[in-house]
Amino acid sequence: MEYTWDFKVILDSFPLLLRGLVVTIELWILAFAIGLSLGFAVSLARVSSRGWLNGPAIGYVELFRNTPVLVQLIWFYYAFPIVLGAQLSPFTAAALSLTLNTSAYCAEIFRGGIVSIARGQWEGAKAIGMTRAMTMRRVILPQVLKRMLPAFTNRGIELAKVTSLASLLAVNELMYQGRLLSSTYYRPLEILTVVALVYFVLIYPGSYLSARIERRLAARD
Amino acid sequence: MQYRWDFPAVWNHLDMLIVGLIGTVELALVSIVLGVIVGFVVALMRLSHRRALRTPATAFVEFYRNTPPIVHFFWFFYALPIVIGLSFEPFTAAVLALSTQSGAFYAEVFRGGIVSIERGQWEGAKALGMNYRAVLRRVILPQALRRMVAPFVDRSFELTKTTALASSLAYAELLYQAMQVNSITYRPMEVYTTIAIMYFIVLFAASNLMRLVEYRLSRVG
Repeated sequence: MEYTWDFKVILDSFPLLLRGLVVTIELWILAFAIGLSLGFAVSLARVSSRGWLNGPAIGYVELFRNTPVLVQLIWFYYAFPIVLGAQLSPFTAAALSLTLNTSAYCAEIFRGGIVSIARGQWEGAKAIGMTRAMTMRRVILPQVLKRMLPAFTNRGIELAKVTSLASLLAVNELMYQGRLLSSTYYRPLEILTVVALVYFVLIYPGSYLSARIERRLAARD
Repeated sequence: MQYRWDFPAVWNHLDMLIVGLIGTVELALVSIVLGVIVGFVVALMRLSHRRALRTPATAFVEFYRNTPPIVHFFWFFYALPIVIGLSFEPFTAAVLALSTQSGAFYAEVFRGGIVSIERGQWEGAKALGMNYRAVLRRVILPQALRRMVAPFVDRSFELTKTTALASSLAYAELLYQAMQVNSITYRPMEVYTTIAIMYFIVLFAASNLMRLVEYRLSRVG
């Protein structure tokens, strides 16, 4: 059980790992930003009283939440192009499936926040002549956004972890670079451990922040 | 964009997919059981007064919560064997990755449940002459377990979805078997849609069943 660690390999591979990290962050920001906005739109459909909006929105959310995200990635890369009639690049397929996946979860967070406000406030706002859009923007959202913050940070953390699955579609993000390097140098122990640590450094600040926000909100209530 | 659907081509290989489904369920069940054991031990360590127990347990939980599961899968399959000098079957590596990772999350579930019981009860039971183990078994856990059901179910649901990652180690679970069927039939659309539906049915049914159990348990209390 004598194992000599080779730290030089880590130094040699670090530049490539950093390049992978940049792609990871790109994928993360892209999917989170679009996923949040799309999620809001889906949540509006989800709380709508019209069946033709409400029904598909439920189906959308349940479908993405009840299947493994890796299956979604594979589906969008290998199956979706057949319906589309055009090949997607691995990055596009990964970004697309991660965005849609995130939007389904975000839709549930928005919905939870929106329905937590008493119905009376909608009626009150309507009574003083506010439209639905105005009520949402001026009355409902300001009250719930802060409360939803921990849920959204948690979602962001989950998404950061899930971006690593893009490596299985050969998107050259951090995990992919790690696998490539560990087979090139034949040093999986050093390189995969460093990859894990890089992810930790990337993600930990977010979960630390989220725990603090949660504690602060709990103290205020 | 005329696409000819050919589901029968896939259904001819349904036996392969069933094998995969069984593989998924096996992996999930074994990992849940081991994960709960790991989680319980880690939770007790985190609640200990001894820093020598508490610090490693906290580090364990934080490490697993802030790094992607796919890194753990590869680490256990490719890196750990180098340290200990023997190699693992894909199933073993997958179980190790899943049960340690879910162990970290279950530990938080246990810890949350245990600390939710007021401190006074510990002191009261101690005053009656009960030792640590008796208080935990007779007073704290019976009350805490009921509060742990919902987060426990959520975690196990997440774990079951994560089993799909074991396909990257060539363990014959549902996604891996689908890839095999795809390489025989060249029907990615039908294959991946079929397994998405299979995952959906299993996970949706399981989550609704568990919600029913949760509801029953919450009414007992």
